[in-house]
Amino acid sequence: MLQCIFLLADNGAVILEKQLTGHRVDRSICDWFWDHVISQGDSFKSMPVIASPTHYIFQIVRAGITFLACTQVEMPPLMGIEFLCRVADILSDYLGELNEDLIKDNFVIVYELLDEMIDNGFPLTTEPNILREMIAPPNIVSKMLSVVTGNSSNVSDILPGATASCVPWRPTDVKYANNEVYVDLVEEMDAIINSTKQFSLLHARFRDGVLVKCEIYGEVQVNCLLSGLPDLTLSFANPSILHDVRFHPCVRFRPWESHQILSFVPPDGQFKLMSYRVKKLKSTPIYVKPQLTSDAGTCRISVMVGIRNDPGKTIDSIILQFQLPPCILSADLTSNHGTVNVLSNKICTWSIGRIPKDKAPSLSGTMVLETGLETLRVFPTFQVEFRIMGVALSGLQIDKLDLQNVPNRLYKGFRAVTRAGEYEVRS
Amino acid sequence: MAGIRLHVISPLVLVAVGKCARDPSVFVRKCAANALPKLHELRQEEITSAIEEIVGILLNDRSPGVVGAAAAAFASICPNNFTLIGRNYRNLCQILPDVEEWGQILLIEILLRYVVASHGLVKESIMSSLLCIESSHSEKDVFDVNVALEDNGIPSRTYDSELVNLVSRSYIEGLGEYLTRSSDTNARSSDLNGARFTSGKTNDDVKLLLQCTSPLLWSHNSAVVLAAAGVHWIMSPKEDVKRIVKPLLFILRSSGASKYVVLCNIQVFAKALPHLFVPHYEDFFVSSSDSYQSKALKLEILSSIVTESSISSVFKEFQDYIRDPDRRFAADTVAAIGLCARKLPKMANTCVEGLLALIRQELLTSDIESGNGEADVLIQSIISIKSIIKQDPSCHEKVIIQLFRSLDSIKVPEARVMIIWMVGEYSSVGVKIPRMLTTVLKYLAWCFKSEAVETKLQILNTTIKVLLCAKGGDMWTITRLFSYLLELAECDLNYDVRDRARFFKKLFSHNLCSQVPEETNALQENKDLPLVLVECIFRKQENLAASEPINDRFYLPGSLSQIVLHAAPGYEPLPKPCSSLCDDLGQFSNSIDRTTALGEEWTGSSSNGTDDPDTSGSLDEESGSNYDSQQSIPGLSDNSGTGDSASEGDRNCDPLIQISDAGIACSNENGASHSGFPDLEGMMSKRALESWLDEQPGSSSPSASEQIQVRQSSARISIGNIGRQVKAKSYTLLDPANGNGLKVYYSFSSEASTISPQLVCLETFFENCSSETMSEVTLVDEESHKALDLADLTLATTAR
Repeated sequence: MLQCIFLLADNGAVILEKQLTGHRVDRSICDWFWDHVISQGDSFKSMPVIASPTHYIFQIVRAGITFLACTQVEMPPLMGIEFLCRVADILSDYLGELNEDLIKDNFVIVYELLDEMIDNGFPLTTEPNILREMIAPPNIVSKMLSVVTGNSSNVSDILPGATASCVPWRPTDVKYANNEVYVDLVEEMDAIINSTKQFSLLHARFRDGVLVKCEIYGEVQVNCLLSGLPDLTLSFANPSILHDVRFHPCVRFRPWESHQILSFVPPDGQFKLMSYRVKKLKSTPIYVKPQLTSDAGTCRISVMVGIRNDPGKTIDSIILQFQLPPCILSADLTSNHGTVNVLSNKICTWSIGRIPKDKAPSLSGTMVLETGLETLRVFPTFQVEFRIMGVALSGLQIDKLDLQNVPNRLYKGFRAVTRAGEYEVRS
Repeated sequence: MAGIRLHVISPLVLVAVGKCARDPSVFVRKCAANALPKLHELRQEEITSAIEEIVGILLNDRSPGVVGAAAAAFASICPNNFTLIGRNYRNLCQILPDVEEWGQILLIEILLRYVVASHGLVKESIMSSLLCIESSHSEKDVFDVNVALEDNGIPSRTYDSELVNLVSRSYIEGLGEYLTRSSDTNARSSDLNGARFTSGKTNDDVKLLLQCTSPLLWSHNSAVVLAAAGVHWIMSPKEDVKRIVKPLLFILRSSGASKYVVLCNIQVFAKALPHLFVPHYEDFFVSSSDSYQSKALKLEILSSIVTESSISSVFKEFQDYIRDPDRRFAADTVAAIGLCARKLPKMANTCVEGLLALIRQELLTSDIESGNGEADVLIQSIISIKSIIKQDPSCHEKVIIQLFRSLDSIKVPEARVMIIWMVGEYSSVGVKIPRMLTTVLKYLAWCFKSEAVETKLQILNTTIKVLLCAKGGDMWTITRLFSYLLELAECDLNYDVRDRARFFKKLFSHNLCSQVPEETNALQENKDLPLVLVECIFRKQENLAASEPINDRFYLPGSLSQIVLHAAPGYEPLPKPCSSLCDDLGQFSNSIDRTTALGEEWTGSSSNGTDDPDTSGSLDEESGSNYDSQQSIPGLSDNSGTGDSASEGDRNCDPLIQISDAGIACSNENGASHSGFPDLEGMMSKRALESWLDEQPGSSSPSASEQIQVRQSSARISIGNIGRQVKAKSYTLLDPANGNGLKVYYSFSSEASTISPQLVCLETFFENCSSETMSEVTLVDEESHKALDLADLTLATTAR
């Protein structure tokens, strides 16, 4: 079982320490950890499970903050990692975002949350809705109150309603004047695109990319504001396209197995009902055509971006990001649309926004290679970000959402959005 | 209240918890269950049974929330008390999907252990491979089984079945048995003779468990998915195992950290049953956002599941990876190409072509020193080519010639060493190569002075090899070249080179003195000498062709030990099949007591240091820390040519210190910058060394029958701690002041052994710190077939 949780800032300082069991874990473990991070660099930071001389350490990194959990005995490592992910999710949910200052400002709440989430090294309550009921999220009013009254605790005195109910994720007595339920399809497109590149250096041909892999990872997010104990069924028009699914614990497995219908008693408020994957998609909404030619110590780059398959809605916040290879000394990049930034760590960002009607955005420029290096042999990979509101690119469609014992006024809403996930174009 | 860790109030708390456990409110009962582990940690003998009783009551609860907490309590209090589970088994299975996610993880594991303990293994599952090996073991050797399988037309299966067998066996066996197995093959048949198998189709309990865990494969929590997949892996019939594949691949998407863990587990699954993952190879394509470790794991999985239908697209991917800015990864890719080519001989030609093109391309640009990365890629591609060529040297003649030609432009010493090695090794292959030899050797002799030390040594070796195979007119030239080289080498700055040269000179003094015409006669006279040499060299070749034995250990899927690749404290293999049948129960718990007692003696000495130097790389770290009982193995990794590993055990098969061959296994551990290739490259130069080392006993004392196979191995040490039961007592003993037990110090002394240069002196000191006398301390050699001279070890046992 977990013995201790540490939160480290990006300079290695311990922000927070939470001992979970009777045997204290010394802080020196963090020093050990940080020494290794410094000496071994990023490869150590991306190791999720580390065996130190005295403890096993699980680590995840979120927004520059390293979450460490220590244990000395055998336990399922995914349990530790998954728990840390939940902690990170809930903290960022409570605090708005994650950073060192915010955590330090809200120490009390963070500790209270950890107290509720884990006891004696065993995860307790991790359902965000229930946690919200037990511990009020920070806001200005509560801060004012605590300053005025001197009572700093915002743990509610009453037990959360869910503990008593037969459905552990839902409080018993929920009352809303307006009954509303919103279903969001949030999809992320993962794709790997190869732009075929000839080895002949002088005339690199300009060809369409080859789609190596294209799939959609999607989530059904439900915001449920319903009174009483509603029982919902959600069915899809085309459930056969789903390749894999994962469910929130509230979903009953039997109806899904037999009819591919989601039947569930929802938690109160926002939650992730299911996540799914649709594989083997045939096309992508936009194209990115990088072209790199190098000759005599300089390298010319030109990247073109355009719409390939118009999804019917506007594609916005298109951002292209790539890491310049280490052998490049300097780069001079310009674009005819949007802004280009080259950071000191050689990450180049080209934010395009929307694609204009009249011209195709393109980025061009020259890069100077290291002295002595004639041609470029390692090629950057372009990460593309975009967002399309109102469309689920996988083609998944919600057929209907039914409610047993329908209340008087019921509003059902539906939205879809597609974003780029791990969408990359190899040059 | 249980959080107040005071011994005085524990009886009071116990009463309160007992009362709460019968409370009508679900929440109260749940809290009571949560309080139990805390109470248990106070380690009070008298209340243990009472606690277990309460756990039993809580497990019987109707509410899923309570059961989840009770499962956590059960796992930490009495994980081997299967009677408690047996009573509620059906209820627990039915309630499992409703239990909260964290409870599910533990409950799944408990149920799995219970089913294995009470019903044995499932006949149709992968674990049943044990059975077939078992039955045939009595009359046949394992090899016969493999041969039989091969006759059935599935040659690739042989490797799998062996591996599957190994995997499944290591799930069941504890550390102790692992050691005994490798030293004594009989142990393997004896320790599982009692194993009973049940059929998944007829046994309701097994069916129920599988049924209840299958919806969990859709769980939101990836830890639950992995745990459920583990159950199916072990228990479900072989044809149904494939249902775990999709969920496992799906949780790859969840987060970077869990991706690595899941990949580690998939790697084992994919090695054992590659066909499961074959259709899903696309999921293992590397994306640039993966961490380096994940990338390396994906490559390994890809190369193990690749088939003829998928190879073309996989190769296209590999070609892209080679251009990745991360040159470490590019080098790994090249290694993976080599692996694939070996797996699918049809593709070998394409691979070699591609690799040669790569080498040429590297050469074009590697004249400037652009960091180590480029050199690594080059070396790795030559290693890959070499391993492909080794399979069938004669049909790759042209490739070999091309490599010889590129000698001039390749500057990296390691790469040169390998090509020069090939000159010697394949000197008699084909028609053209023998004709080229003199030119190549002349070139080598010409640039001898400017070479690195290792290259010099390799040139000397190669010349000898060529000399031995040479015939007719070339002989004279080569002999001249050789003596010229020897003269050069004798004046070398490096003493290794000088020594080697003198050694060869002595060895060949006859050959060199006698001039060309008499050469053949001289050969006749000294027939034994060159013959032995030739024999040694060729024998070496055969040895290398034999595949490396799998020295890896496997741990239960989803366990921490599987990730760090050594048994974490508290790791327990699956219980012995059918061990908890009623009459056995008493005995079973007895044996646990015994192990507990043993553990106590040990915890004193191995107190906090129980974790791990998991790879040889981290050994220095360990010796640097200040526990008085730490072991230090200076320079073990340098001595890696030694195949002897001593292990210490006692009669109860519960050794706590284990040194085992890790072989190539640790390449992906720790993800340190030293991944696969330096290891292989080390092996290369070692091989060269071996080939001449082997000559020595043969020529100096031909009668010595003892031929010690020197194998590349790095030691892995794991110090086991026997289970959670041990923790019961360990706290008072943790104090080093009164730590009692058996202390073992050992070190590798630098002095050379008097018996044979291949042996390394290992000094072991035992010290009994406990008040009782200890007897029957034996040193068990883990790999007895390696003919380790135990007499060389000075054994000083003091029983005080």
